Amino acid sequence: MTEDKPPRKEESAGLMKYSAENLVPFGPIHPALKEPEYFKLVLEGEKIVEVIPRIGYVHRGLEKAAESRPWVQNMYMFERTCGICSFVHSLTYGQAVEGLTIYEIPRRAKFIRTIIAELERIHSHLLWVGLMGHWAGFETLFMWVWRDREVVLDLVEAISGNRIHKSMNAFCGVRRDMPEGMEDRIVERMKFLVDRANYYKGIVDTEETMLERTEDIGRVSAETAEKLCAVGPMARYVGLRRDIRLNDPYAAYDEVPFDVVTSKEGDVHALLKLRLDEMIVAANMVSYAVKHLPEGPIRIKIPPVIPAGEHSSHSEAPRGEIFYYVKSSGGRTPDRVKSRQPTMANLPTALEILKGQTIADVPVVLTAIDPCFGCMDRMSFLDIESNRQWTWSGEELRRYGINYYFPERMKMR
Amino acid sequence: MINEILQAIIFPGVLFTIAMGFLFDWLDRKTAARMQGRIGPKITGPSGILQPLADFLKLLFKEEIIPSHADRVIFLFAPALYFLAPLLSMLFIPIIGPTPLAGFEFDLLAILFLLAYAAFVVTILSYSSASSFTTIATGRLVLQYVSYEIPLVLAIITAALYSRSLSVEGIVASQSTLWNILVMPFAFGVYIIALMAELEKPPFDIPSAKTEIVAGWLTEFSGRALSFLKLTKEVGYVFGSALAVSLFLGGGLGPEVAAVPPPVLYFVYFMVKLLLVGFLIFVLKTALARIKIGQATELFWKILTPVSLAQIAFVLVLIQGGVLVAT
Amino acid sequence: MPRRRAGAAIPEMFRTMLEKPSTRAYPYQKVELPARFRGKLDIDPERCTGCQVCAMVCPAGVITMIDIGTRKVGDKELPVKRPVFELSTCIFCGECVDNCAFKALEMTKQFELATPHKEDLTMRKALTK
Repeated sequence: MTEDKPPRKEESAGLMKYSAENLVPFGPIHPALKEPEYFKLVLEGEKIVEVIPRIGYVHRGLEKAAESRPWVQNMYMFERTCGICSFVHSLTYGQAVEGLTIYEIPRRAKFIRTIIAELERIHSHLLWVGLMGHWAGFETLFMWVWRDREVVLDLVEAISGNRIHKSMNAFCGVRRDMPEGMEDRIVERMKFLVDRANYYKGIVDTEETMLERTEDIGRVSAETAEKLCAVGPMARYVGLRRDIRLNDPYAAYDEVPFDVVTSKEGDVHALLKLRLDEMIVAANMVSYAVKHLPEGPIRIKIPPVIPAGEHSSHSEAPRGEIFYYVKSSGGRTPDRVKSRQPTMANLPTALEILKGQTIADVPVVLTAIDPCFGCMDRMSFLDIESNRQWTWSGEELRRYGINYYFPERMKMR
Repeated sequence: MINEILQAIIFPGVLFTIAMGFLFDWLDRKTAARMQGRIGPKITGPSGILQPLADFLKLLFKEEIIPSHADRVIFLFAPALYFLAPLLSMLFIPIIGPTPLAGFEFDLLAILFLLAYAAFVVTILSYSSASSFTTIATGRLVLQYVSYEIPLVLAIITAALYSRSLSVEGIVASQSTLWNILVMPFAFGVYIIALMAELEKPPFDIPSAKTEIVAGWLTEFSGRALSFLKLTKEVGYVFGSALAVSLFLGGGLGPEVAAVPPPVLYFVYFMVKLLLVGFLIFVLKTALARIKIGQATELFWKILTPVSLAQIAFVLVLIQGGVLVAT
Repeated sequence: MPRRRAGAAIPEMFRTMLEKPSTRAYPYQKVELPARFRGKLDIDPERCTGCQVCAMVCPAGVITMIDIGTRKVGDKELPVKRPVFELSTCIFCGECVDNCAFKALEMTKQFELATPHKEDLTMRKALTK
């Protein structure tokens, strides 16, 4: 770092008050984490007193990269933010940009978007249930659940051509129509998935060793969760009835009926059953949408120049609320794109839950929030000698960049 | 003399035990895979049967990395000490006839000593590789050992009490009319559960919890040491099942078949029972999740120890009353 | 409240053991791909006119246009270009396929593209015309 640093606020008291014996590092590379993040656990015996996170290991600078690419290319870039929730990212970005234009999305496109989004929800929840089995040591559940997940991935491949990066979204529509004759196959496969989900709910309820791992773990009060802005299943499992599909419908969610699943007991076992229930709801939604698919165009081609203005959009990803803000000044590239992922909103709640748990529960709790650190990463500054952590505002970052590349310009001011 | 040496080294001694260890590993992986809807090992050898051997040979050729804080002497030599325990114990089990290779009158006590010795060597091994993960693993290991040892020993002693003999050969011989499992089924159950805790199979693979503390006490080992540690676990698996077969299922005893010479028949019965016990453990291991160390301790102290004590009391009553007394 | 027991998964385990395993033993077993599978790009050199639309819409910068000659339009000499595809950068989105007005591009079903030579993945088929 250079000498002329802009002034900054000290944000974390640092780790000086804890002695080294009590600090156990969790991460950045750990078998329990799919993506690297560094959590310092302060222990007292086996109980955790505090968790100090340090993020930024997989920060890719996507928001900055978006400023130099045309609008349509950004759609593909944001689709690759995350592999599991890729469609919802491109959907929310598309909705944010469509809000700047004057065009309406055709009804058939809305239904197809809903179908793909719900298929993605099914696949994400199945992935998560399998992972819970894996962390708890229950390999059999992991293998079975991921085998059933292949059903969804094969369907998505038949519709869009790829299992993960569906590339189905376009501005004001979808790129491809549903293939001919898929309706019966989709309905039958959804019925199969509902049966399997009911079976897994039975297993989770009766298997003694699984119950011992997941019951009474991960409790947080509803007030704390609300204060810490938990989103998605993390808000719903303590009883808060929060769902963007219900509160602020987008795509075809005002036409396709569904229930919002909440739970009264806030532990990891309740989270398991809640996500399996959401999966069943999603499967029923897909069957309904496929049977009631309206006729019409699937896309309106819009010019590559988006009018000036700013717009934001949010949607319900499998993990929670995804929020995109887009600012345009009438050009071919955006001025600013900001994306806020649900794991970023759920992380304070997760750290709050971890206080009071034992070290054996750390993987279970950290997986219970369904983390996707690749999506959520941010940059922060850390001074190793004094152990101080701080962040910069956008203005400070801009000033530092200008000062670094064009010092004469700063001196002229 | 030469005959005995050959028997001790090749069959049914060292090489046979190692080959059985590989066979059990292969069966374990195949049945677990089939129960989970997968295939399991496939390419090395017909249906993948040479896969455990391939894994063992591959590890032998890998580089050994010793952490700087670790105790070099223990790190390099203690795996061999650990390997001795189940291998020696196998010599006391009758496999191709009513007399084992090295049996003597109190060899059950020798087996109990070797079990404790194995756990002790594991603790030293785990402690010698000083890293944050292995320290946690050592604590869990010792806790688990303290919990499972008492029910295990009590279950073994129940069979010895009932058969009035402290040698494995004697216990097997006393089951010629009635298998021990029919008299003391709970002791068999307790033995199997305690065996799973000793072998660190799920639900008790807490000390080597793959997803929590990397690989538990095996974390820092690599190369030859790791290959022998893994082989020892497999041989321990074989030995534990062989002991169950001898103590509770009547060893190689079974109905006579005319045209088959007795040693072959003995061996066939023994193998069938061994594979059955192994299969039982495979199924249990695949079907259960991993429980926490506190819950495992509770299970052993609060449930299994009283059950095994009650079983001993029951057997003593039977002996006193003269009912079902073995010959 | 359903009864808690250990080994609740055992009946299903035995049922699964008797069924066919669901592993597809790739590469010893061929994998069937759906019709819409987006694999390696292929170009029909006869149909390509060098309009450059594919190079402009590609999000990954795969396509570069190369001059291969000139043609007379009226009394002007205009360059004739053809695309060269650097397929190792391709993200298989299909934008070029959708936007080609002459239907010269298509995505094949070939997905085994790993190669030790990067030159194998540069497609110059369109230049031969």
